[in-house]
Amino acid sequence: MGYTITEKIVSRALGKKVVAGELVEALPVDKLYFNEVIGPPAILGYKRNFAEVYAEAGRRIKVFDASRVSFMPDHTVPSCSVMVSSGVRVMSEFAKEQGIAMYKEGDGIEHTIASEEGFVLPGEIAVATDSHTCTQGALGALAFGIGTTEAEHLLATGELYSFTVPETVKFEVHGELQKGVYPKDLILHILGLMGEGGCSKKVAEYMGSTIRAMDMDGRFTMCNLSVEMSARTAIINPDEKTISHVSSALAAKSLTLGAEEEKRITTSDADAQFAETVSVDASSVEPTVSLPHSPANAKPVSEVNDEINVVFIGSCANARKSDLAEAAKVLKGRRIHPSVSLTVIPASRKVYNWAMVNGLLSVFAEAGANIESSNCGPCFGKHMGVLAPGDRCMSTSNRNYKGRMGSPDAFIYLGSPALAAATALEGRIADPRKYLGGQP
Amino acid sequence: MMIIEGTVVKKYGDDINTDYIIPAYLLQESWDPQFFADHAFERYDPTFVSACRANKNNVIVAGNNFGCGSSREQAVYAIKNNDVVAVVAQSFPDIFFRNSLNNKLLPVQVKDTSSIAVGDRLIINLEKGLVEDLSTTKKHEILGAQNLVQRISKGDALDYARARLRAKLRETANQV
Repeated sequence: MGYTITEKIVSRALGKKVVAGELVEALPVDKLYFNEVIGPPAILGYKRNFAEVYAEAGRRIKVFDASRVSFMPDHTVPSCSVMVSSGVRVMSEFAKEQGIAMYKEGDGIEHTIASEEGFVLPGEIAVATDSHTCTQGALGALAFGIGTTEAEHLLATGELYSFTVPETVKFEVHGELQKGVYPKDLILHILGLMGEGGCSKKVAEYMGSTIRAMDMDGRFTMCNLSVEMSARTAIINPDEKTISHVSSALAAKSLTLGAEEEKRITTSDADAQFAETVSVDASSVEPTVSLPHSPANAKPVSEVNDEINVVFIGSCANARKSDLAEAAKVLKGRRIHPSVSLTVIPASRKVYNWAMVNGLLSVFAEAGANIESSNCGPCFGKHMGVLAPGDRCMSTSNRNYKGRMGSPDAFIYLGSPALAAATALEGRIADPRKYLGGQP
Repeated sequence: MMIIEGTVVKKYGDDINTDYIIPAYLLQESWDPQFFADHAFERYDPTFVSACRANKNNVIVAGNNFGCGSSREQAVYAIKNNDVVAVVAQSFPDIFFRNSLNNKLLPVQVKDTSSIAVGDRLIINLEKGLVEDLSTTKKHEILGAQNLVQRISKGDALDYARARLRAKLRETANQV
């Protein structure tokens, strides 16, 4: 009997074979990262709750392994309030004291940095205090979000307790995506098929010819949004594209994959046991929009024509290089609709600087966009474009819950960067294919 | 924690996400759990806090997938610190379920919550694996009750983590 990639990664970490459904007392974790939302209370809680244990042992407070922890302030940076700034200070002081690497405000969104910097590697177990940690599944890593309490325990011991090895739903995706149809459309379509609770407690594993042909940016998007069907996480078997992505991330820091790290790279066996198989024909997927107020409320763009006055292109879902490139193709040489406010936020400083050098920022600026430094932006309704009652927003992010981006009386739609760009031009939800030479 | 008695304070439908329980814009504005209790459900159900404060031993009842979305543990603080002792729902996603147990908020899964109404008196008996609705006399089997009992009887998660840390510090004592 074969094993899923998830079972193999957990088995490797434990040094013994385990299968889905087994309860693991203590799961050792390879990588742990924090944003500035949960980082500060987790640090304070860790010190408060474990100080006496270190004192009893005559030791100073020291995290399990500083080299496997990273701090990435990304949600509302540069800071938008005194409390946010105070939290960032808690993190930077602790990072200095412990020797933990800390990124600067504006270096990017945690889930983008974690893969871009080669912090998370294929075959590893990575956890972070954010539900979109599942994004790292695109690397063939087992990665998921944790709460504050678990983060405190992890800082102390590097372990997660009472972990149930999850079952896996296999998504067999075949067919070529049409021009103007993106991995974002595909995953919104899948969310529509599955519903918000459709993959609860199970890993979504994507495979098939569509996934093999997909670039890494697209795979990150697919994995990122999988938590919107309540998946435990998502994962994709690593292949040559994954290895090339990881190798160039490491090469930028004059590093290579070590022998131990290479040994961790693994894939699902051909005869692995899956809880369920879902087949998806990617060639029939149209540009897709999720309507208010659920990411699973997905409809083909041909059925939607609603007016829009706010457009956000950004977030951990869709603000990498290829995302901005597709939006720029639509916006190049054009001006956005007079009643639309457009905000563009590249996912990281590297993406931002790349977009600047390659002229994309000029395209956005000339189209009339506000361009902000890399962070989560308005996605969760705290800064950089908080929605008013009655606002109708098209966002490339991952959640359109009522009130997510501001007023509960605003309306949020989700779509791809190209679709969001076309929408910004027309002031209503628009099919991007007419701007891309595709067939609407 | 094996037998809990409470009154249903609120009943919600499917897919109540953690943004509805505590909006994200508040998360960075305090490190005090009580702050989040004061703002619980503020944009989704502004009557939640006052309803909880009028009672003791509150129970929330919901449909499928209660606590989906963000991993924010503040959602659990927001509920727990309004004197809510349990959430009875048809399913919970993993992160919320784990966060609840880590804060001694009992996540109770039953097959069908449709007959349970606001104001019902419930006895949640983990040993028997049953939720008894005293108001309708209906009994609901708790799904995964054994697993819950096992988790709870292992004691406080923090004590366990402290014991693991003590062991690790002993193991490495000579390496310092």
